[in-house]
Amino acid sequence: MIVISRGRIGLVALVVLALAGCAQETKITRVDSGVVTDLSGRWNDTDSRIVAESMVKEALEYSWLNTFSGSKHRQPVVVVGAIMNNSHEHIDVNTFVSDLQRELTNSQKVTFVAGKGDREELRTERKEQAMYAREDTQKAPGKEIGADYMMKGTIATILDEADGTKAVFYQIDLQMVDLESNAKVWFGQKKIKKVVEKKRSIF
Amino acid sequence: MAFVLLVGCGPSVNRYLLIEASLRAHDPKGADAIVAAAEKDYGSKSRVLYGMDRGMTLQLAGDYPQSNAVLEQAEEELDRLYTRKIRTETLAFLTSDTALPYEGDPYEQVLINVLKSLNYAMLGQWQDALVEARRIDHRLNVLSDQTQEKNAYRDDGFARYLSGILYESTGDVNNAFIAYRKAYETFESTRSWSHAAVPFQLRADLLRTAEALHFTQELAEYQHVFPETRWEPSQALQQLAQVVVISYNGRAPRKEDQFLDLPISLDALQLVLLNRGFSQANRHSNRPVDTVLYGLNGRVVRVALPQLIRQKTQVPLDTVSLVSDNGSRVTLNTELVQNVTALADKALSERIAGITVKALARAATKFALAEGATRGAQHAVGKDAAPWVGLLVGLLTKGLAVASEEADRRSWQTLPDEIHLARVWVPPGRYQVPDWFIGGSHDPLNPEAMRTLSLGLGETVVLIQRVMP
Repeated sequence: MIVISRGRIGLVALVVLALAGCAQETKITRVDSGVVTDLSGRWNDTDSRIVAESMVKEALEYSWLNTFSGSKHRQPVVVVGAIMNNSHEHIDVNTFVSDLQRELTNSQKVTFVAGKGDREELRTERKEQAMYAREDTQKAPGKEIGADYMMKGTIATILDEADGTKAVFYQIDLQMVDLESNAKVWFGQKKIKKVVEKKRSIF
Repeated sequence: MAFVLLVGCGPSVNRYLLIEASLRAHDPKGADAIVAAAEKDYGSKSRVLYGMDRGMTLQLAGDYPQSNAVLEQAEEELDRLYTRKIRTETLAFLTSDTALPYEGDPYEQVLINVLKSLNYAMLGQWQDALVEARRIDHRLNVLSDQTQEKNAYRDDGFARYLSGILYESTGDVNNAFIAYRKAYETFESTRSWSHAAVPFQLRADLLRTAEALHFTQELAEYQHVFPETRWEPSQALQQLAQVVVISYNGRAPRKEDQFLDLPISLDALQLVLLNRGFSQANRHSNRPVDTVLYGLNGRVVRVALPQLIRQKTQVPLDTVSLVSDNGSRVTLNTELVQNVTALADKALSERIAGITVKALARAATKFALAEGATRGAQHAVGKDAAPWVGLLVGLLTKGLAVASEEADRRSWQTLPDEIHLARVWVPPGRYQVPDWFIGGSHDPLNPEAMRTLSLGLGETVVLIQRVMP
């Protein structure tokens, strides 16, 4: 008969626990897409969404919209142009452009038309329809709606760093440009400041 | 067992010899496969080094997206390594600096961003290339703030110059001028140790951008400083296309152990002199013999310091020819823009005092611990067994102290000895250029060693070549 003392069992349990504590484990938690997740301090989905929401809202509150609707008796047609990444990070500008497009479309205050990349694809489709689709279902060329305004802008950063503390200052500038006159009818700016602190030593 | 483990900590020399052989055979994919296969050998402490080595071989193999991915990982790891773990530092103090995570020297960290910017330029992703140019600027600014010593490596002429080229290629002449000016100032201030003079092309670039920006005072100053420099105004270049050649020449220096055997008795001094008489010093193959001899004697303290072994390139400059469809030939002569060996030399010389103090303290601690263990064992077994137990424990503990002494020999060895650069503006069109991947010669009569380059109006194309040795 093998007798194991309580002390030994305790010791074994302690070793097992210690080893379990050392093991690398991947933990996945599903969270709502609206939850703010600042992990590295870099530009993330939350920044993209918040900036797009607030700036489009601001753009649509300004007088250019009512001025245009009053004089032309229709909603202005808007296209999103180039958003330049002038920052220190490899930001996926397409995600931000997509957020802007969503906000503009859902606002119901402007008519939003497809941007340059999408237009090429749509034109190719129409050309193919002209060759292969039934005549009564073909979509004719030359019926696109020309945009009245182009929304374009930049994402820039200013970095400051010393002794493990980094301050990242994002400045997002968006402007609505009249495509006929090149007049800038609206200029919006959003600033985000993040401070990332790193410890010099841990045990 | 501990001895075997500790010996295994050092970087594999064979790996780099194999990579070098593949590059000599114009087989960068083979070189990359060697680094990829050795990923586990690098270990968890050398993740950054793996990223650096792999990033370079992937770039040479033409896999620019993957090169960027591994270099980005290396950069993120570097960011994490800012926080030092006390337990790792303690372990390294008791064993060797190879137990510390490899962070690379500051010039190597800057070169991570340089390689990434070149990768993006090769992919035609100029906005992303500019992100790397901004990161270079930030990294160098932080380095400059941290480094008080004026003559130290605190800015990088080549990295600044490349940033300027990227800015100018995307039409941002103002930022290009600022980068060129910083590059010029850095080349000038570091020429005593960097062994890289201000490139002639940079002088022309400064004059051209100063004129384009109507900076009359700066233009006059630079014309006064470089009266011989010939340059084309920006307007004349707008109807042309640009070719930038980056040439990686030779092999970066490697590090080896330099053992200092410090005797603390007359017997030990005789032993050290005798041992050095029999065998060449500083040889890894002698370590087992040294371990037994010094372990038995018990009065020799070994300190290992890294020393740089230069592997200078034999190619002073490269000539690259572009042959247009109509048969006209444009010849580019590259210029030295980065002497990697000089940077490695400077980096080691700046750190060697600290490394030496730490190595001496480590050796003293190891000796004291071994001495304590030997005496403790002798005391525990009693008078009769004390002599042979003391001999055995002394051999083990002091032998281990000698065997475990190892300098940190890690460095980014897939880098070249020198980086050369040339840029030229040519009329848009199709050109034949040598393809070094298939043993490209500069002979347009051999079409198999050439590849076609299509240049559009205002377009910039970057060519990278690896020249061995």
